[in-house]
Amino acid sequence: MKRDPRVKLIYILLLTTLAILAKDVIYISAIVLVTIIVNICLGTNILRAIKRISFYVSFIVFITLVQSLTVKGGTPLIYIGSFVFVSTTGIIFALEFLLRMLVIILSGIIATSTDGREMADGMQKMGVPYEFVFMSGIALRFFPIFSDEFRARLNAITMRGINIKKLPFRKKIRLYGYLMSPTISGCVLRSEQLSISVEARGFRALQHRTMYRELKMGLYDWLFLAVGIVFGAGFLFVNYYIGSFISIL
Amino acid sequence: MKIEIKDLSFRYSKKSPRVLENLSYIFEGGNIYFLEGKNGVGKTTLGKIIMGLLKPTSGYIYFDGEDSSKIKPADRAKKIGYMFQNPALQLFAPTVFDELAFPFEIMGTMDENIKDNIQKALKKFNLYEAKDRSPLTMSYGEMQRLALAGISLRNVDFLILDEPSSALDEEGRNFLISYLEDFSRNGGGVILFSHDEDTLSKINGVIELVLDNGSIK
Repeated sequence: MKRDPRVKLIYILLLTTLAILAKDVIYISAIVLVTIIVNICLGTNILRAIKRISFYVSFIVFITLVQSLTVKGGTPLIYIGSFVFVSTTGIIFALEFLLRMLVIILSGIIATSTDGREMADGMQKMGVPYEFVFMSGIALRFFPIFSDEFRARLNAITMRGINIKKLPFRKKIRLYGYLMSPTISGCVLRSEQLSISVEARGFRALQHRTMYRELKMGLYDWLFLAVGIVFGAGFLFVNYYIGSFISIL
Repeated sequence: MKIEIKDLSFRYSKKSPRVLENLSYIFEGGNIYFLEGKNGVGKTTLGKIIMGLLKPTSGYIYFDGEDSSKIKPADRAKKIGYMFQNPALQLFAPTVFDELAFPFEIMGTMDENIKDNIQKALKKFNLYEAKDRSPLTMSYGEMQRLALAGISLRNVDFLILDEPSSALDEEGRNFLISYLEDFSRNGGGVILFSHDEDTLSKINGVIELVLDNGSIK
């Protein structure tokens, strides 16, 4: 389903805001469900997108585990004597974190259903200053560059006969330290080259500019938007009027 | 060492066209192969497949008769030295000296003999004066020399060099030619992927090959 990028941007903003305001796991789960439905309606390939960001997903899962082990309170679930390893509060906190991150990731996937330039046009039409839109677009393009450079350097290390997987943890950390500095300086170098290139091509040389693409909101765009706003308003009402389901239970 | 490629085909995705198509060839130690071809013809791809950085869509590669699919990239790199097209991506240590020393430090194999070899390599590759400099501040030509110096310390049987002369000055090119000739004379095999016909065809006994339409001609 091809929707105007502005509708998608509003949905991203709405869903991520609701995920932050949601009072407990049940509310956040509802947001996760709605975000999945929105993705399905927009025809995004959720599994493929998650595969592409699998590194970040495993990182989030790692933080979730750490959180479940470090936050104490509620009923102890796994403990030795007076030392509590896992408690109900820890599990709930970890779940809330995981689900919120899931909403953020799934909302981000909504953006992938539109070409980055169209998304930038949409942001500009919504009144976001062009400089900010331009920078956001560039920043988004920097992620794959950063990731490619890092992977290329990992390959380069492998090509020195070093099997990274077999290295002890301490040496692995040292190796990643070696990798970070040139990867970051490579990105800074690229951004400097980009800024020279942008200047050379007359960025903001003229006060008024025209656009090749023109965005127009259709009937279905308005309908899709209306459904989202009604859902958002209803959600906030229940969230604040009824309050936390967990505490009721 | 012998690298035998048999019916090798590769494409980047199911929808993209085949870059390599039923490619078969045997590269043998003691020879220098100069593989040329137009941009995007698959030279770098072939190098990466041999090194295990890309998996072939079909076909086989044998190292001295052993099926390479069971050999991990890091283990392949112990026998074959690979130099990337962009040397800047290959260098990461804070100084030129560290760049040469760090694989041995990480692997825990640094000893007096290796330290001595590093000093010799710095002098041989004309990098001694730059030993305390950051590799990232070097010119591309210097980076290529440094990358090659790093490979030379590992006593590999084969070299696969991707555009090795692209940023070298005349002195650097002459050094590269004599280094490769020495390496091959001592039984090592070399595969060069390049456009620089003027320089690389000057190598004594070089075998010139063309990669076109996915196969070697």
